Amino acid sequence: MSEAAQLQQFEERIARGEKIEPGDWMPEKYRQQLIRMISQHAHSEIVGMLPEGAWITRAPNLRRKMVLLAKVQDEAGHGQYLYHAAETLGISREEMIDALLEGRAKYASVFNYPTLNWADNAIIGWLVDGAAIKNQTMLARCSYGPYSRAMVRICAEESFHMKQGKEMVIQYAQGTPLQRQMVQDALNRWWWPTLMMFGLPDSESYNSPQLIRWGIKTRTNDELRQEFVNELVPELSALDLAVPDPELRYDEESGNWIYGPIDWDEFWQVVKGNGPCNEERLRARRQAHEDGRWVREAMLAYAEKQEAGLVV
Amino acid sequence: MSGNSTRDTQWPRFELFQQEQPGKPHVNVGSVHAPDGEMALLNGRDVFVRRPECHNLWAVPARQILARTAMELAADDGWLDVPVPPDAAPQLYRIFQKTTQRRSMNYVTHVGDLEARTAEEALKLAQRRFAAADVFVWWIVPAAAILVSDEDQVESLFRPARDKTYRQPQAYRTLSQMQEIKRTTPT
Repeated sequence: MSEAAQLQQFEERIARGEKIEPGDWMPEKYRQQLIRMISQHAHSEIVGMLPEGAWITRAPNLRRKMVLLAKVQDEAGHGQYLYHAAETLGISREEMIDALLEGRAKYASVFNYPTLNWADNAIIGWLVDGAAIKNQTMLARCSYGPYSRAMVRICAEESFHMKQGKEMVIQYAQGTPLQRQMVQDALNRWWWPTLMMFGLPDSESYNSPQLIRWGIKTRTNDELRQEFVNELVPELSALDLAVPDPELRYDEESGNWIYGPIDWDEFWQVVKGNGPCNEERLRARRQAHEDGRWVREAMLAYAEKQEAGLVV
Repeated sequence: MSGNSTRDTQWPRFELFQQEQPGKPHVNVGSVHAPDGEMALLNGRDVFVRRPECHNLWAVPARQILARTAMELAADDGWLDVPVPPDAAPQLYRIFQKTTQRRSMNYVTHVGDLEARTAEEALKLAQRRFAAADVFVWWIVPAAAILVSDEDQVESLFRPARDKTYRQPQAYRTLSQMQEIKRTTPT
């Protein structure tokens, strides 16, 4: 079959809502786009453990500690689902991990901001995980089977991440003036980085049209961002928390909450490595990788002895 | 820095199959890397059974699985001519299928077993014996390659997930909390 005929058959399958599975023919560009997206997504889950992970030992009570521990464990698992989904496209997990440790890989820039106090975990859970769920719910409909399945599994688990954060924000909002101030401060710092998570505006997102035609994405960055803002603003205002956007206004005609300009210069600065915590995040990943080396070596030595029949 | 040549973390890949309850089929939930089958089961438990429900796990080295999509089978029927070695003894193969395009977190499901001399022969037999309206993917797994979690470890490996209710979204009442706040807050 000619390449043109294969491409036509491929696009017809996607139009019918069929999943493309490992082993099926796919255009090289589709494969490359998916490797790029899935590996960045995997790295984001792994690096995403760090901002909250630092607070596990400082949780205010045992319940909050178990919840945060479970959430961070989930992120580790999500990273594994995604590395394995990417592996079905012909890249190895080790290549991806090397790229991350050597500073060659991208991950969600939101994780390059610091978590300054416990209320940050509350806001991260509600806003950052909430924004991630919007994106991931869309990606669960992705045309590539392994990515779609990883997303369905992740969405089912992330729902608790968002709710535990929201529960804490509600508790802070109903607390003392100082507690309200803490959560407002966290909201002020995380609001804009969260809106940036949805990616560049549609007018500048050059990959989007093809990603949508091939069913990798099914909605645009701006659509998802607007839906998120529309959901969050009334909830935050019910809690008497202020969205840190002086230009925010409700548009009767469209029913949208129109937000002010996003500082894309800041976004690019953070992506390029100049965010507040880029270096710290990479240092922590490298340290964890080195600290785990003896465990990996021991596991390998045990496996080799087993293989040789030396384990009794 | 660890280079690609060190093979530091790139252990063999194992596919994991989870059985939720006795009597239900094993379904493929995903894969893990592990230096051996024992670690594959432990990693599989940590990666895929942080929540209920699981009764039994299978781990299979990925290289031992014959996996074919319907598209691959249609595009190339060369596998039909793979000769059976004269000394090949019949062995048990477990047959897995994907039969739906519905959104799911799982992939192929165990549909039954049969005896054959090679994986290709097993696939040929399975296409007749386990014929279904739409089979999008076939997996043929030699039963001898499957590592099975111990029955007597069900309590220690899988049951604790049941008590961790805080991992479930239902443990949080944020929806009704917000409704209550909106109801009582003057606008």
